[in-house]
Amino acid sequence: MDPSPTTELVDLVRRAQRGEEAAQRAIIVSYQHRIAGFVYAMTGRSDAVEDIAQQIFIKMIRALDRLQAPAQFESWLFRLSRNTCIDHLRRQKLRRIFLPFGPEHENVPEPPGAVDSEELDALRHALAQIRPQDRALLALVQEGRSHAEIAATLKTSIAAVKARLHRAREQLRAHYQPNYES
Amino acid sequence: MNPENQAWLRLRDHAAAQIHAGFADRVLRRAREAVPSLAASFFLSAATAALCLLAVALFERPAHRAAEASNLADWQQIAASSEMLADAQ
Repeated sequence: MDPSPTTELVDLVRRAQRGEEAAQRAIIVSYQHRIAGFVYAMTGRSDAVEDIAQQIFIKMIRALDRLQAPAQFESWLFRLSRNTCIDHLRRQKLRRIFLPFGPEHENVPEPPGAVDSEELDALRHALAQIRPQDRALLALVQEGRSHAEIAATLKTSIAAVKARLHRAREQLRAHYQPNYES
Repeated sequence: MNPENQAWLRLRDHAAAQIHAGFADRVLRRAREAVPSLAASFFLSAATAALCLLAVALFERPAHRAAEASNLADWQQIAASSEMLADAQ
């Protein structure tokens, strides 16, 4: 459960659940950059960020009335984002099997100028080497989410989150080389 | 700040820059578009399958009958030839 969701957020979510467009717009504007960061960490593709973020928010709006506890909105939104990204990666994997020479093929480089720094490129490369589930964990930590919140998002125990996080960080460190040349 | 954290910050900034102006409006507009219900999708799939079966049945039956008639004619010819051969012996 989110430990201290502000009353403003809970109120905003309730209004959005009632179908108030202004509240829905306010939620999208508040979270669009955080969700974009999460999507980019998960997919490593700049050109997919806006499209997947759009899918996530469309799903959010359509499913918002089924959210029982508005106080758990953030955990719910990040779970939705994680599942959407993992579905996208699965679909991409299947496309690569059936269309091996298609544009979705692995290792297609980002368009020129899309990645603007060596550190970012190295992080993207390191993230690509680890499992999507572990990538999600690291991205959630970077979002400033606590172990308890991540456990709620992933529907698992805090101990399991800590163990998986430790392993994911080690793997990321093993692959993270800022002087990496693509 | 260690380089890894610096990289995460850059990642967030870079991702945020991919969201273009008017994003929320585009999302809201698309979210309002009608979505076909599960029942409607199922009905469409079932109707397509039924049409395919009907088409197969319609095209397959005359072709099957023609093949049967042709086979029967061939067998009758073989039988007549065998009888003629037996009579000659």
